Amino acid sequence: MRPEDILHFGLRALTSHRARTWLTLLAMGLGTAAVVVLSALGEGARQYVTGQFTQLGTHLLIVLPGRNETTGGAPPLFGDTARDLTLDDALALLRSPYVARVAPLSLGSAPVSHGNREREANVVGTTAEFQPVRQIELAQGQFLPPGDPRQAEAVALLGEKLARELFDQQSPLGQWVRIGDRRFRVIGTLASSGFSLGADLGDTVLIPVAAAQALFNSPALFRILIQARGRAALVPAAEAVRAIIRERHEGEDDITLITQDALLATFDKILHALTLAVAGIAAISLLVAGVLIMNVMLVAVSQRTPEIGLLKALGADRRQILALFLTEALLLAVAGTLLGLGVAYGGAWVFNAQVSAFQLVVPLWAPLAAAAVSLATGIGFGLLPALRAARLDPVLALAGG
Amino acid sequence: MLATDFVRFCLGAVVAHRARSMLTVTGIAIGIAAVVLLTAIGEGIHRFVLTEFSQFGTRLVAVAPGKVSTLGLSGAILHNVRPLSLADAQALARVPGVTAVVPVTQGNAEVEGNDRTRRALVIGAGSQVPAVWLMRPQLGRFLPEEGAGNAGERALAVLGAKLRDELFGGTSPLGARIRIGGEPYRVIGVMEAKGQMLGFDLDDTVYIPVARALALFNRESLFEIDLLYGPEVDGATMAERVRQVLLKRHGHEDFTVTTQDQMLEVAGSVLNVLTLAVGAIGAISLAVGGIGILTIMTIAVRERRREIGLLRALGAAQGQILLLFLGEALILALLGGLAGLTLGLGGAGLIGALVPALPTRIAWEFALAAEASAGLIGLAAGVLPALNAARLDPILALRDE
Repeated sequence: MRPEDILHFGLRALTSHRARTWLTLLAMGLGTAAVVVLSALGEGARQYVTGQFTQLGTHLLIVLPGRNETTGGAPPLFGDTARDLTLDDALALLRSPYVARVAPLSLGSAPVSHGNREREANVVGTTAEFQPVRQIELAQGQFLPPGDPRQAEAVALLGEKLARELFDQQSPLGQWVRIGDRRFRVIGTLASSGFSLGADLGDTVLIPVAAAQALFNSPALFRILIQARGRAALVPAAEAVRAIIRERHEGEDDITLITQDALLATFDKILHALTLAVAGIAAISLLVAGVLIMNVMLVAVSQRTPEIGLLKALGADRRQILALFLTEALLLAVAGTLLGLGVAYGGAWVFNAQVSAFQLVVPLWAPLAAAAVSLATGIGFGLLPALRAARLDPVLALAGG
Repeated sequence: MLATDFVRFCLGAVVAHRARSMLTVTGIAIGIAAVVLLTAIGEGIHRFVLTEFSQFGTRLVAVAPGKVSTLGLSGAILHNVRPLSLADAQALARVPGVTAVVPVTQGNAEVEGNDRTRRALVIGAGSQVPAVWLMRPQLGRFLPEEGAGNAGERALAVLGAKLRDELFGGTSPLGARIRIGGEPYRVIGVMEAKGQMLGFDLDDTVYIPVARALALFNRESLFEIDLLYGPEVDGATMAERVRQVLLKRHGHEDFTVTTQDQMLEVAGSVLNVLTLAVGAIGAISLAVGGIGILTIMTIAVRERRREIGLLRALGAAQGQILLLFLGEALILALLGGLAGLTLGLGGAGLIGALVPALPTRIAWEFALAAEASAGLIGLAAGVLPALNAARLDPILALRDE
């Protein structure tokens, strides 16, 4: 029997039982589509997070005050230390040739009011460098003026939501707002960039770092953001930062340094593991579909016992019978997988066309894994029925099994 | 037809094709087992997190500075213009129903003792920590009551279990002199090990009197005030009383009151959604198993046309034929459900025995829902083939080859 004969035979067998074939394809397709769509969801989430990090700025080092020696624990998030990280510390970091920009951050909370409206907002004290480092986009006006960061100019930028709550449709530019017990002139508003790493910049007011230190009566910085000169400079920059701070803090190594890459790698690993787990759970349904293929093939063998007997009587050997039924099982598995892949890719395409904020990305390994699993399913679950067919006694089979 | 006949007929059909029925049942069983096992893991993690939270006791109210409108970090934890003071904590102690109050501030400092140094979490706390956080000293005693807030608090410290091991090894640190952030303290106790909680190592800590910690970190505002209330009041009433007292003292609502119940509720609802999602992904397998039943029933109806024709000729009504095939599908599904439940329960028990770190707990509501949906799937999958069978023309069916 030639290969195309075997293929033809299998196709004929499948098309003659249309309902059964379609249902099996449906089961296989459902399983494949579930695996592909869920892995696309995971991969999309991973790329979304990566995008968010890139938005945070490139070649970034973050300096936190304080250090814990427990490995694997969280960094000291609300680090208050006996020796504060100060503005002078931040400016001293510029001595390193590997450091391109330094943006000190002082964070607090205070009521912001205009007229008779008041709202509690996060107050971020920083410098003009914050804009290029964090890639902040403005909706109106200008950013904090460059110049000596030690000078507390009374100017402020409002987050998009805060500006709307205080000023409605009016332009806040040039208006005065009261933050705590001080008055600031609004020189700009931030464009809405949504949530960025858990911090909602919409409900934030940006003021010069010296003004924030005076407002909160504390010289302590919350973070220092450092932009290195290029990717290669990240490691030497980190070493230089450590050395400079140690020198200024009387030999004490009391800061935590986080590189953006390390943070990103951690998130990447977690999301990758999650994607694999979810796809794996969905792959259980492929197992169930495989059991169904086996079942359908068993039925087919028992229904076609006389046919098998005839083939054997005409001289077909065991291997040919085996090939016939394995081909049929494989055809079912492969066609089902193709159906599922088609549905999954089509669904992802429609989703991406409708939703722009979040994109489904089918990872390359998903269709490959689905194809491999479908082949394995076809062979693995088709083997038993095919063996049963091959072992039939021709005389008994001809007699009707 | 008698009820017993009906049951015997259905069972007979299932038993006659043993291999086929077995495989169909296996398909459903895998789906059910997946749902039961996955939700058991989800529920186990849920319980685990709840016990993590409630290890600090359940009748707790936490007051933090700043108004947090949305979920997330308020800058007020770091700096704010209207601090939560020690006087606030003292006022809250007088609220009826409150049995204990712990003002908390925290930071990070270098601890020197026994010629070794280590950076650790420094918690400034009141004397009632053992009662409120449900943790006991394993050696010595906790910080004494000295009219918290007085500048005259003595420089006493209590070490966490891990910090004691790191600094003093096996020897008793009681009475030893240590330096925290450069200031001298005397060790009067060691806390029992409490383990990690949400990434923070609670044993790598040192507890010092709160007023001293505020001075050490040069802060005015507390990080948090924790209250323990008596069993005679419920959480919501207590939160409201606390709110009223602080409103009178501050004039504005510039603080956030959270009860332990609320925290547990938030954590619980997030984890419930997770369990539901994982269960739903597992249920895809169940759907594929349903398609399996549909396929096999379609095949069965085709094979038994003659039998159906005979039954109809003998006077069986259409409704009876319908019921017969529905009954067969239902039996397949329920058998699968039962096998799956056994498999799931066994698997959960096995995981519990082999991997004690991964807590499992059977989520009975999900398991029962899975069982019920298996029955429903069986019925739904049976409807179409059964209708086909019932609608057969008896004469044509009898004449079928």
